[in-house]
Amino acid sequence: MIAPGKPPLLSLVDELLAEQQSLQTPVARFSEHHDNVQRTPDLEPVYRDLIPLSAPAPGEQYAFEVDLDSCSGCKACVAGCHSLNGLDEEETWRDVGLLTGGHEDLPWQQTVTSACHHCADPGCLNGCPVLAYEKDPATGIVRHLDDQCIGCSYCILKCPYDVPKYSERLGIVRKCDMCHSRLAEGEAPACVQSCPTHAIKIVKVAVDLDGDRPRVDTSDFLPGAPDADFTQPTTRYVSRKGLPAEVRPADAANPQPQHAHWPLVILLTFTQAALGFSITGLGSESTLLNGVALGLAAIGLSASVAHLGRPMRAWRIFLGLRRSWLSREAVILGTWFPTLTGTVILSGQFPLLAPVAAAIGLAGIVCSAMIYIDTPRQFWRAPATAIRMGGTVLVGALLPIAPLAAATALAAKLAFEFTQSRADTPSGQLLRQALKPALHLRLALGFTAVITMSFVTIMVTKPIESVATWVAGVVWLAGELVERYLYFRAVDAAKMPGVQTG
Amino acid sequence: MKTTLDSLLHARGGPTTEELVQEPGRFGLGRLPSRRAPASTVDSVCGFCATGCSLKVHLDDRGQAINLSPSPDYPVNLGMACPKGWEALTPLAADDRATHPLFRTTKGGPLRPVSWGDAIQTFVDRMKAVQYAHGSHSIALLSTGQIPTEEMAFLGSLFKFGMGGLHADSNTRQCMATAHVAYKQAFGFDAPPYTYSDFEESDVLVFSGANPAIAHPIMWQRVMRNPHNPQIVVIDPRHTETAMAATDHFAITPKGDLWLLYGVAHELIARNAIDRDFIEAHTTGFDEFAQFIAEYPPERCAAASGIDASRIRDLATLIDQGKRVSFWWTMGVNQGHQSTRITHALINLALITGNIGRPGTGANSITGQCNAMGSRIFGNTTSLLGGRSFAEQTDREDVARLLEIPIERIPTQSSLAYDQIIDAIEQGEIRALWVIATNPAHSWINQDRFRQIREKLDFLVVQDMYASTETAAMADLVLPAAGWGEKDGTFINSERRIGVTRKVAVAPGEALADFSIFRLIAEAWGCGDMFAKWTSPEAVFRKLALLSLGRPCDFSGIKGYDQLSVAGGIQWPFASTTRPSVGDRLTDSLSIDEDSSSERRLFADGKFFTPDQRARILFEAPTHAPESPSADYSFWLNTGRGSSAQWHTGSRSDKSDVLRKLAPRELYVEIHPSDAERLDIKDGCSVTVGSRRASISARAFVTPTVSAGQVFMPMHFREVNRLTFAAFDPHSRQPSYKACAVHIERAS
Repeated sequence: MIAPGKPPLLSLVDELLAEQQSLQTPVARFSEHHDNVQRTPDLEPVYRDLIPLSAPAPGEQYAFEVDLDSCSGCKACVAGCHSLNGLDEEETWRDVGLLTGGHEDLPWQQTVTSACHHCADPGCLNGCPVLAYEKDPATGIVRHLDDQCIGCSYCILKCPYDVPKYSERLGIVRKCDMCHSRLAEGEAPACVQSCPTHAIKIVKVAVDLDGDRPRVDTSDFLPGAPDADFTQPTTRYVSRKGLPAEVRPADAANPQPQHAHWPLVILLTFTQAALGFSITGLGSESTLLNGVALGLAAIGLSASVAHLGRPMRAWRIFLGLRRSWLSREAVILGTWFPTLTGTVILSGQFPLLAPVAAAIGLAGIVCSAMIYIDTPRQFWRAPATAIRMGGTVLVGALLPIAPLAAATALAAKLAFEFTQSRADTPSGQLLRQALKPALHLRLALGFTAVITMSFVTIMVTKPIESVATWVAGVVWLAGELVERYLYFRAVDAAKMPGVQTG
Repeated sequence: MKTTLDSLLHARGGPTTEELVQEPGRFGLGRLPSRRAPASTVDSVCGFCATGCSLKVHLDDRGQAINLSPSPDYPVNLGMACPKGWEALTPLAADDRATHPLFRTTKGGPLRPVSWGDAIQTFVDRMKAVQYAHGSHSIALLSTGQIPTEEMAFLGSLFKFGMGGLHADSNTRQCMATAHVAYKQAFGFDAPPYTYSDFEESDVLVFSGANPAIAHPIMWQRVMRNPHNPQIVVIDPRHTETAMAATDHFAITPKGDLWLLYGVAHELIARNAIDRDFIEAHTTGFDEFAQFIAEYPPERCAAASGIDASRIRDLATLIDQGKRVSFWWTMGVNQGHQSTRITHALINLALITGNIGRPGTGANSITGQCNAMGSRIFGNTTSLLGGRSFAEQTDREDVARLLEIPIERIPTQSSLAYDQIIDAIEQGEIRALWVIATNPAHSWINQDRFRQIREKLDFLVVQDMYASTETAAMADLVLPAAGWGEKDGTFINSERRIGVTRKVAVAPGEALADFSIFRLIAEAWGCGDMFAKWTSPEAVFRKLALLSLGRPCDFSGIKGYDQLSVAGGIQWPFASTTRPSVGDRLTDSLSIDEDSSSERRLFADGKFFTPDQRARILFEAPTHAPESPSADYSFWLNTGRGSSAQWHTGSRSDKSDVLRKLAPRELYVEIHPSDAERLDIKDGCSVTVGSRRASISARAFVTPTVSAGQVFMPMHFREVNRLTFAAFDPHSRQPSYKACAVHIERAS
């Protein structure tokens, strides 16, 4: 279409722009494959020997086997998995990293590919509050039910290998399913198909189901990876050449700050402060204190809903009660709030309600703590989590009646946190470096709260009625929020080896 | 009842599950997500590196690409691709694509969108104004190895024959100039002699300055398929991924390779482990070489090469014992102050041992960019179209006749090389620069100097897919280009295979194929008539086939793109009389019979492209690197590829989230544990790396894979070339990126 009277250059511009925007339709293409029919995949001869001929027998399951000697470090497996499974742009189900080791005379490096290890005793499955994980009885593949998932991300915390990946778009996690639908048809998983050097294959491994928990032989699991004991990963890393005695992940020196999980920060801080306040409030029958406790609990519990990617599916959260601390927390804290509300209204008539409410609340907070303790993360181990979370409850309970005791407890808690930040651990490194400003804010707020509480002790006779107490409380709570933010961000998230600089 | 309750409690299906549901794929593809089921597929050669893999692009019913997978039966990649290939479509959708021409009206002002008409008119007016004021050779061109051959030929012809420019070079100067010059001098034509099956047929493979395990993973695939349990020797200062997989590693001192190779040659000749008959019949210069090399016994070469004399002898023994020895190299050899002679040292080893022209042998340059080979033959920068010479009257006559252009339009002088163009800009002789599909503000050696010369230019035009490259950000005019996948054309790969790349996506906004931009410029410049028949890439391809007629690279037998598609690419030479080789899947319908006995490997008859058909044995005494470690700058800095997921300056590969995940995100410097300990540098800590040019910060990566006294930095990060020292090989003018002196210390 050339407009009459247009200068030739502009006509040519129009013509070329139109041409650029047109595509040859498939029908018009000479090179269209005239094989628009279903047939054996062209790559079948390539991968035929890389998958088992028959399904696993009882007591066996499928597993990935990585031949480290064949893996040259091209990383095609990650991209092949991504494309053939139709994953979102930023989503990868397989990851690669680097191990280094050896010495000057015999330097050593090894690229390591990993996806889900389809563990014999999967952390994700054991932690899921809605039973969105299932271990396929025939193949042992750990499958994720995408429509069951509520997007709580707990599996991400439970998995030592950073396998489940949260999708912002879908509000759920997804993960490697070993291309079970391909395997079912005799087709190799995407990673197996896309490895130019045939370094990945599917094998059958024996699973021991007789003991206290399912176990596999993990002697061929990767050195430098998180301890295999926690979940019994099935992937085998084999090398005829052998690995050096000491290997280290290339990203070992560069721990990355983790997700802040703000709704969880608010949930934990506010419900724990609320529990502390309510214990004292119900004991002292302070309407103000009880009101504040109820308010904090309400905000905290509401925030937890905001944490879920798919809150409308969360009604199934009771399903995991038998093994998931998250289910237990949700159910118990969910019971606590109405109990607490009833108690505040009715405690005059039913004095036994107050200890019941306190007991339920405490049980809920224990479940909260267990959620984190029951992960393969050092920073969250039992004493540390108990001191942080228990400390919040304790200071909350003491502040309105015994501010000096509260100040002492808080000072002790601050000292503990400071010690953690000085430790020669990945979390200590994060707190000293990447998270230094937040740590300083935390310490400043905490220290100010201690001073204010001490001031209240000296100046005020009835702290529960003093504005100064509440000022101290607000400063304290702000400090606790920052503390909990650091609790999430500075955690040493276990993972497979990564690439240099993380 | 139970099942109802179970299905209520356990949602095993639903909309989120369906996102990933697969169905049996058609087109031989296997199962694919139903969401992305292709309506058809088309094969297209990848636009990253020179391996030249074919990607089977999955198209929707409009012909738009929705996914891809490697072509299963293409003779190059056999159904495999590296992650860049798998992700090749992603960078097309980046949000920093240049979508409209951009013009900077005032110095220091912003780039603002203008119409194509205004942009082209501005281009022509400003270029002509510069030529009027400072002479027709005061404009220069920096081209690329990343666009199809047809576009390169158009660009070079337009610039030299149409616009009257002379000084044109390409970023292939940074990667392949040495191989080009070395082959030309030794073989009489720029002709890598091999075919990829040589990787599978060797019993000894010597890789020098090459890390194919991550830089050319699909070539490495062929090495891994070698059934002969080969000896794999890696010559590299670093213990790379390839060195890990090798049977032997020679960790040379940076730029010690010439010494090592001379030591090996000395030993071979001293042992008489050479092929006298071949030398006699097919080479010249051996006697002089033997005399020269007598001065290089292994003992003398040990110190400068960093390899003990006994190990030098071991290498000679390996080569001597091999029945089919092949020599392979890439940037570690190509980028050096004596790179052409190092290349000759490798070629010499192949020649004197008779390891050339037979399966599994050869002196084989592994090429860098997807179409560096196209650029070397048809870029019309250093050589005249078809590997001809601007200085030769008969060559100019040929081109003038075949292209139907007046012979006076063809310059008789050759162009300045890249570094000389930069010098000429600094001296005010060149005042306007046109940069296409390359990013010198990131990639040029001693980068700060390139940035400074911007001030000397009256007019800088950048034609690129992205308006965000370091160079585009400096431009006066940005012309938005369609990228790989948004246009048709051909690439020539490392083994001389011509393959088709296809338009499978609509370019964003008003971006145009470089080919179309050249048509517009020709029209506006007033030389439209000269290019009146250059209407489509395939029309130009036919012209190029004509231009190749009778040349060593003769591919006049190729009829067009469809033949290339069906054949699975065709290696040159393929004259009208050539019969196809095993790899070429030609069918009867294309009227050429299959002849399985022929291989497209060069020099099987021992006849080279020199006038006397003999290969030249060339050599020169080793010299010290122009900058080497001293008291103040006590480390060697080596630079190179960081990972298989990164491509050069990252303007494309950084746009894929998947590729970003596979590569380090922060600049790091590899340092040996003993050096790190001495300097109190802990793994992961911040360090300052300084050279005489600049000082930059990076994160330390403590690893024994780099030798003591050396550090390594990946070239993909912008800051690295601020450190490098601008030394050049005198023959190829290729920069020496891999050896300069730095100091390193903990950041305060």
